[in-house]
Amino acid sequence: MTNTPALALTGLSKSFGRPAVDGLDLTVARGEFYALLGPNGAGKTTTLRMVAGLLAPDAGRIQVLGIDLALDPAAAKRRIAYLPDDPMLYGKLKPTEYLEFVAGLWGIDAGAAEPRARELLAWLDLEKHAHELTEGFSRGMKQKLALAGALIHDPELLILDEPLTGLDAGAARQVKDLLLSHVAKGGTVILTTHILEVAERLAQRIGIIQHGRLIAQGTLDELRVAAPGATLEDTFLRLTGTA
Amino acid sequence: MRPGSTLWLLRHEMRMFWYTNFAGSKQGKRGNANWRVVGGALLVWFALHYGVFALLRSVGPAAGFSAGPFVVAVTAILLATFLFMLSSALKASVETLFDRGDMDLLLSSPLPSRSIFGVKLAGMAFGVAALYLFFLAPFAHVGLLLGQLRWLAIYPVLFAMAVLAASLAMLLTLSMVRVLGARRTRVVAQVVGALAGALLFLLSQAGNFLSQEDGPAASAMAQAIAAAQSLDAGSPLLLPARAALGDGRAVAIIAALGLLVATLTVRLTHRFFVRGLQQASGSERVRSSAAPVRYRFDRSLSAVVMVKEWRLVWRDPHLVSQVLLQLLYLLPLCFIVFRRDALQLWAVAGGLTMLCGSLSASLSWIILKAEDAPDLLQTAPASTATVRRAKLAAAVLPIFALVAIPLGWLLLRAPLAGCATLATVCGATLGAALVNLWTGRPASRGEFKNRGNRDIGSRMLELSSLLAWSALASLLPLVLGGAPVGFAIAGGAGAAAAIAFGTLPLAWMLRYRVR
Repeated sequence: MTNTPALALTGLSKSFGRPAVDGLDLTVARGEFYALLGPNGAGKTTTLRMVAGLLAPDAGRIQVLGIDLALDPAAAKRRIAYLPDDPMLYGKLKPTEYLEFVAGLWGIDAGAAEPRARELLAWLDLEKHAHELTEGFSRGMKQKLALAGALIHDPELLILDEPLTGLDAGAARQVKDLLLSHVAKGGTVILTTHILEVAERLAQRIGIIQHGRLIAQGTLDELRVAAPGATLEDTFLRLTGTA
Repeated sequence: MRPGSTLWLLRHEMRMFWYTNFAGSKQGKRGNANWRVVGGALLVWFALHYGVFALLRSVGPAAGFSAGPFVVAVTAILLATFLFMLSSALKASVETLFDRGDMDLLLSSPLPSRSIFGVKLAGMAFGVAALYLFFLAPFAHVGLLLGQLRWLAIYPVLFAMAVLAASLAMLLTLSMVRVLGARRTRVVAQVVGALAGALLFLLSQAGNFLSQEDGPAASAMAQAIAAAQSLDAGSPLLLPARAALGDGRAVAIIAALGLLVATLTVRLTHRFFVRGLQQASGSERVRSSAAPVRYRFDRSLSAVVMVKEWRLVWRDPHLVSQVLLQLLYLLPLCFIVFRRDALQLWAVAGGLTMLCGSLSASLSWIILKAEDAPDLLQTAPASTATVRRAKLAAAVLPIFALVAIPLGWLLLRAPLAGCATLATVCGATLGAALVNLWTGRPASRGEFKNRGNRDIGSRMLELSSLLAWSALASLLPLVLGGAPVGFAIAGGAGAAAAIAFGTLPLAWMLRYRVR
């Protein structure tokens, strides 16, 4: 069972009038930090939303940690967390109340949830804002709280859509450290980002998607084999033909 | 039109008004009008013109409009209109200051703050006057057609009143920002706005629940009415009414007054407006607390969902004031019912049922349809059925708690009628909640006030259920009273029951189509 990948997508397709994801095959191993890159409208967010169970695929199969998402969505959801680019928060709740709610949705035992919540709020420097309503939070604070919510049930697979957008340097560092720590403890992270430097420095493997299809995949060195010494940006622009 | 000029900015404001009120909701077609709404409104407007035409032709030009009691009655109507306008203007000023919209862009531009404030005030006044113009402008148009030019006074009088209301509301809100601070102002202004609209209604009903033997309050009211009727025809207090009835001199004075107030407000307070906006933009900042952080992770899924929903509603004073306003409108009924010796069972039963159904419709819409984080619920492994049941409970439980005491009192006083009322209260409350659970599209809390425009099908079902249960509640005490009842009452009760119970399967059948 431990050899099963964290995520396996087979022939995944989704169309909104025109194909957004077109027969995508993708495998991410357990314990891997995987970055999914692509130009705007390439199908990254649609792919992640299908994996999170927010969109039903038109065709194809999604397996999360060996569980078929279509057959047992609850079991799959219990082991993953999804953080969209626009954080899903309740403005009239305090951070502590938000975490209580998320922990309730995932059915986490109080004995495990409380220390985890304290640890996450402390790590993300949100403890001093614990008594404030989130409606007054900056975008970065909201993003960090949403990340705390995503991590409270200690998911085996963490899926993040543009997690660093709008964060200042300090907050971005905190989030990156948290993600690396999650992978170091055996968790899997899949993220999309437009900040290529993030993918370059954090990801073990990078996938490039365009028109809903995976056009290249591999480690950074494997991707720039055609042009050794090139930056990821050069490689990305060359592969997607947007240079 | 010169870009950056006041007129150019006014055109932009009018365009935004159009987008906000009539734009289609489909993505990518924001600029297009919602022609169904516009067409329907135009149809009603033309029908109004026809009705007014028939009325004015039958009444004729000299209909004794200058008679004392008629002028007093028009004064009362104008006072009511002004209070409603003030209520709308207060809400609009809060939106301008706190929801901001394009304010950040405008304030960061090189446009003079006087122009920005003037245009915002004009936009508010236009928005406030629009509804009344819709209903009253046909009098002016038809009057012009029939040669009864006095009706043209409606335009200057309504605009002057709207300008006064907008100026007063903006000054009130800005003063509150100065005195109370931005956070408190938002809450207080919203509550005051809601109360201002209801105030005149309650005053108008005061006569129903106060009488001469009730002491000073009632006699003061009677004295006020008598004093108004004995006012001299030239009294300045009757000036707005005389203007509305077409007195040329009064129209000129009222229009000049409106213009003067607007000019002075803009000229003297535009800097105050900018400072208010700057203060309001920092309204979300909260002082940190050193109190220890406490968690409650020991609740069940249902309890977690219910507590979250109650917190979200309770912490939104604007929403609470809108929901509880319905209670305010039903207060006079309570006075009438409980002060009489002979218990008005039909009124108690009907009133309680309508109150519960109405509250349930509002709360269930907020809790079931206006979910702030639907993606979070969808990505969670929690059972959807459990979450929806918990939301349903969160919507209906506060209502049952609220009516428990009057219902208990009724059960003790008249057990049979009490049981019937208990059944209709449950029916109306659950009926409205289930209609909202099954039909309609997800929405945001901000759309609460205009929820009927979004989901006409769902709203119609909700209203049918509410009216049918209320009618059934009023008729049942008569049917169960033991005395023989006529066909009309028995048939009415049967029809009400059929509609009340029929709404639910209809809502169930329409659940996917409406969504």
